Amino acid sequence: MKRSIIILIAALATASMLAACGGGGGSSPQASDKQAAKGPITIWYSNNPDEVKWGKQVVATWNADHPDEKVTGQEIPAGRTSEEVIGAAITAGNTPDLIYNTAAAAVPQFQKQGGLVDLSTFPDGAKYIESRTGDAASQYASAEGDYYQLPWKSNPVMVFYNKAIMRKAGIDPENPPMATYEEFLATARAIVKSKAAKYAIYPSPSSEFYQSWFDFYPLYAAESGGKQLVEDGASTFTDKAGTSVAELWRTIYAEKLAGNEPYTGDAFADGTTGMALAGPWAIASYGKMDWGVAPVPTSAGMKPEETYTFADSKNVGMYSSSKNQGTAWEFLKFSTSPKQDGALLETTGQMPLRADLTKAYPDYFAKHPAYSMFAEQANRTVEVPNVANSVEVWQTFRDAWTGAVIFGKGDIAGALNDAAASIDKLVSQK
Amino acid sequence: MSNMQPTPRRRRILSMTLLMLGALVFLFPFYYMIIGALQAKRDPSLSGAIPWPSNLTLSNFLDINDAINLGRSLLNSGIFTGVVVVCTILFGVMAGYALATLHFRGRGLLFAVVLLLQAVPFQLLMVPLYVLLVRGFGLGDTYVGMILPFAINSVAVLIFRQFFLQVPKEMFDAARIDGAGEFRILWSIAVPLVRPAILTAALVTFIGPWNEFLWPFLITKKQSMQPLAVAVANFTQTGAAFHANAMGSILAGSAVLAVPAVVLFIVFQRHFTETHSATGVKG
Amino acid sequence: MPAESSHRRASGLRRTVATTPAPGGRRRSRIESALGRNPAGLLLSAPYALFVAAVFIYPIGLGVWISFHDFFFTAPGVDVPQPFVGLANYAEVLSNPEIRASFVHVAVFLVINVPLTLVLSLLLATALNNVIHWRGFLRVSYYVPYVTASVAMVTVWMFMFNSGGIVNQILGPLAPDPAWLVNRTWAMPSIALYVTWKQLGFFILLFLAALQNVPKELHEAAAMDGASRWQAYRAVTLPAVRPATTLVVLLAIITGANLFTEPYLLTGGGGPNGASTTPVFLLYQQGIQQGNPDIASAIGVLLVIGVLIITYVSRKLTERD
Repeated sequence: MKRSIIILIAALATASMLAACGGGGGSSPQASDKQAAKGPITIWYSNNPDEVKWGKQVVATWNADHPDEKVTGQEIPAGRTSEEVIGAAITAGNTPDLIYNTAAAAVPQFQKQGGLVDLSTFPDGAKYIESRTGDAASQYASAEGDYYQLPWKSNPVMVFYNKAIMRKAGIDPENPPMATYEEFLATARAIVKSKAAKYAIYPSPSSEFYQSWFDFYPLYAAESGGKQLVEDGASTFTDKAGTSVAELWRTIYAEKLAGNEPYTGDAFADGTTGMALAGPWAIASYGKMDWGVAPVPTSAGMKPEETYTFADSKNVGMYSSSKNQGTAWEFLKFSTSPKQDGALLETTGQMPLRADLTKAYPDYFAKHPAYSMFAEQANRTVEVPNVANSVEVWQTFRDAWTGAVIFGKGDIAGALNDAAASIDKLVSQK
Repeated sequence: MSNMQPTPRRRRILSMTLLMLGALVFLFPFYYMIIGALQAKRDPSLSGAIPWPSNLTLSNFLDINDAINLGRSLLNSGIFTGVVVVCTILFGVMAGYALATLHFRGRGLLFAVVLLLQAVPFQLLMVPLYVLLVRGFGLGDTYVGMILPFAINSVAVLIFRQFFLQVPKEMFDAARIDGAGEFRILWSIAVPLVRPAILTAALVTFIGPWNEFLWPFLITKKQSMQPLAVAVANFTQTGAAFHANAMGSILAGSAVLAVPAVVLFIVFQRHFTETHSATGVKG
Repeated sequence: MPAESSHRRASGLRRTVATTPAPGGRRRSRIESALGRNPAGLLLSAPYALFVAAVFIYPIGLGVWISFHDFFFTAPGVDVPQPFVGLANYAEVLSNPEIRASFVHVAVFLVINVPLTLVLSLLLATALNNVIHWRGFLRVSYYVPYVTASVAMVTVWMFMFNSGGIVNQILGPLAPDPAWLVNRTWAMPSIALYVTWKQLGFFILLFLAALQNVPKELHEAAAMDGASRWQAYRAVTLPAVRPATTLVVLLAIITGANLFTEPYLLTGGGGPNGASTTPVFLLYQQGIQQGNPDIASAIGVLLVIGVLIITYVSRKLTERD
């Protein structure tokens, strides 16, 4: 028995040595050679049916004109695990050339892994990105000001409300009062008290790291006038804005105006809740519902033209396994050209991250006035901060949030301060 | 029957009643899942547990078939699980026989490793395995890549070993004295004997890959390659948005995943339990 | 007579190179000394051994190596410094309150699950062994949860146990608020209840097999000696199923310690402020979601060591009395 153990430990030790030596090695071709290389490429996009439609169309259009640089498109399951799939693919070296479903929060990690190509190294890289997206582009750059992602489309988060439920609750369905926290709470209480719906609003209360993007972050963006969670290496949310957002939500959960358990399906589409915080992508699932849209509330009330919100953007990354980066860059520019951005808008209703959307596509917004609210809002969005350990940062925040706000344990200021201390430490690690 | 004293009638009725109650409690969630899959409108109240004919429909199944191709996913599950079961039986019987009856260098070490494996969580191995299989062998998006980490189920090896340990040594020694080679002994004597254990091992081995959702998800991107467990897990986690009765569709997918395993079990349970005495742990 | 008792007893392993004379008194050839009496065993077990080496030894070895370095996975061809950091990762794991809490959660789980599983599976197996009518239906009912995927079952369970669900409707005012799976105190016990229900079929199976192997003569002797049913049970049946008891306890501890699927699915994200996290769940979060495989490996190694210690202790306990 003892001998077996010794042999086993020796085997494990040998295996681990071999494993360590196995990684890495091999010289890679010069970056500039890869950038010039042209040839066939593969792209991934999410499996959202509208995006698939757009994806197939853009690939077909390009392939018709570029028989030597064929693009193959593949849909990947877009779920909470798609970042994990991409991370594993980077490690294995089998990422495609472009992924049209790169979450901003994952970019710092992918960059650390050496998985992303720095788009700023292309001669017209930074210029193209900044001229297309305008000032907002700076939110998508790395700490050094380089672009490891191309900001592609956003889904500005606004408050949807169900007009029928509002009517039943005795609230004006065309103009429900929800600009200030007081008005918002009063509306919410009216909905629940009149039993027009079981809940007034129902963001997902579960603890995944990204859930705070749909309850805390939009309201914080508005209340703070456009601040990110972390700026200049320090947490910002312990200020008055962050605290008042947290206290509003704590009240909402304490009065049971929102549910504290995960809901299977879409609570707003089911009529279980009267309001929802979502972006234009959700419109497709609301079917025949008569819905309205309003900007997120702020404590003192702000004009809609001044209210910020969360961008919920999905961006395009070029991955370092790409051999034909020349083609990849050309295709990237092609797929984000004014024409293709317009096609994206038409097919999916999501907002391309292009400056001044309403001016760029006046016909579309004339035909779809409901979407023009989102387009207007898209000019004032806040993205997740591009910092180290970004996923862990958001998980830390979420854990504090679920404890103190959703389940009302302990005091808010303390919880926020503790989270801020941990987050500051995480962000300073390289 | 192991208990020899005649049990008083009252005790038997009590015992039977309790067993029945327990069985109903055990079956209830499964039953509730089937009902939920067949309901047109989601009904969390007490009356929702009763299959009112007015609320029954097959549309949830059609709904989820639109989102994930049930047939194709079932096929993938079948391939994945089937190959694992075959590999396990083939190589597991060989290994179990060797571990139990043959003396060779390294036997103790191998056995210790088999035991150690039980204690290690698969999540620890996932990413290194992924890198090994995809970077090292280029097996991403293939059935082989999906199957490889599960190819031979260690619990089955232990079951076979235990089984062979209980077979009287004389049977093998007699054949050896007669001059039969090891492989002949394995083929003509051991394999026919081990049939009852094969069924047990097959059923135990079946459950793993059939219900596995993390590994196939990681190793395949194409939806057409994913087994049903992965498809249902994905569908559930994306909240089944865009679907009228999300709960119903999810339960429909879950039912399609669960029912084949249960049916297989029902069909084979007779052999499973009564002949399992031969593979049981002896005192 | 049985050749070996419970296959979990590693001390029962024979030494691999014996010098006893082979049957028939032949002198041992050099091949036999080197490879053992039946070298064919090497060939037969080779496929399995190779499989184990490739699929397990290599990743475990890599995992152990990673746990001693400042490491993260990189794209091929990317060279980053991966300095040896000794026990730094382990120190970080042990000093992290959330990770420590997850070990506590697993302890809570084991304390509920293992005794409950042991007692219930033995009782049910005994009852099922004695029943005559409806035997097939009863046995299938108890196995059905074991055979069904958690992925399939959790949606039902969550539906049943949420605040408006059927369980709370039956309990009425006794229902906890917040509801079970989001309740700090009740989240882990709810998961323990779910897992016990789900795994019971497998353990009933193990006990059933052991019960069916108890020789009839022992029972007859006890009956003839005038022992009551309970005395007979204690003196005859329980000792006879001792190896199965040991196995059940061991397997329950190991699967409990490695709990991942149920917390992941039932309380996705780990429950309110991490009330229902487990070490393997945090391993997954750290290693795969947050890109810290070094911390994850440290958690994994510590967990395996912990499990080995507990199983060693529990074996000593169950085998002494």
